[in-house]
Amino acid sequence: MSASKTTSAPLVAGRQGHYAGAVTRLVAFAADVGASWGAFTVALAGITFAIHLVTGTTINPGKGTISGIIVLISFVIWEFIYFAYQWALSGKTVGMALLGIRVVGTEGEPITGRQAIIRTLTLPLSFLLLGLGFIGILLNKDRHALHDRFAKTVVVYSWDARAARLRWLAKQESAAPS
Amino acid sequence: MSPVPGAGRMEQLVEAIAERVVNLVIEAIDVDALMAKIDMDALLDRVDVDGLIDRVDVDKIVSRVDVEQLIERVDVEKIIERVDVEKIIQRVDIDALVEQTELGTIIARSTSGVASEALDLVRAQAVGLDDFLARWVNRILRRNSEGWPVGPPALVSALADVDIPLPADGGAP
Repeated sequence: MSASKTTSAPLVAGRQGHYAGAVTRLVAFAADVGASWGAFTVALAGITFAIHLVTGTTINPGKGTISGIIVLISFVIWEFIYFAYQWALSGKTVGMALLGIRVVGTEGEPITGRQAIIRTLTLPLSFLLLGLGFIGILLNKDRHALHDRFAKTVVVYSWDARAARLRWLAKQESAAPS
Repeated sequence: MSPVPGAGRMEQLVEAIAERVVNLVIEAIDVDALMAKIDMDALLDRVDVDGLIDRVDVDKIVSRVDVEQLIERVDVEKIIERVDVEKIIQRVDIDALVEQTELGTIIARSTSGVASEALDLVRAQAVGLDDFLARWVNRILRRNSEGWPVGPPALVSALADVDIPLPADGGAP
């Protein structure tokens, strides 16, 4: 097999367990926001449709003060469950799994349910003051955001670059004429 | 019948005395002290091991060994526990293995193809951008990140750094 053109070594070389960078975390978070909002919207539409089928009344969620408050509270609860449950269960959300990162304790141990809850509750704080809570991801040695400090957690790469390499090699091998 | 009368009894008496003397000598010898005085290395140097081996009929010994019984006495679990699998895997040239065996085809068939390649590509690009951004931040702040911890100590020491560069396209076609 001919030698393949390679990227600069730091790009993907053996990164499992290393602190994850800002771009990866941002993309993962965006994916999570999309996934959680999408799921909430679908669920809300489903509930509204079910109420319409049963009672015959058409509800327009979000219109009117009371229904708006109910939707907002439901959304906050849903977001809390979405993040806290997934972090407590496996240390990663859907977006984080896609991007190959996960949350661990500062020493690398799996996070506890308590840490997951603290991290979820303090996540909104990082958005305050124009998102300055996230600046630590860029500036700190261990890439701590504000909510990471509260929960005593860090985010690391869990992506197996070795498997990606094997897949690529296998593809080259199967594509080569025998 | 003995030509000398009483010679038989005399002989028995001498044998009994000799046997008694030998027993007394053996009892009196401190074997440990004796062994301590022996230079085992010098003794072994004088042994012609090759000659000894030549005289051994290995086939005959093996034919007398009950292999089944021997295997039954082996605690395989205990042996496996003592094997450092990580160390063995590190010595395996995975790339060569994939290239020279059917393993490559198996892996190619087992992966979902386009989806996993696209995911690898996105991740590789994101990691590249992470590094790019971190480099620029360090440059702007005029600081050197050498010697900084790369990850949590327990994880970094557990997951030995495997330096595997991917193709520039992240492994995608």
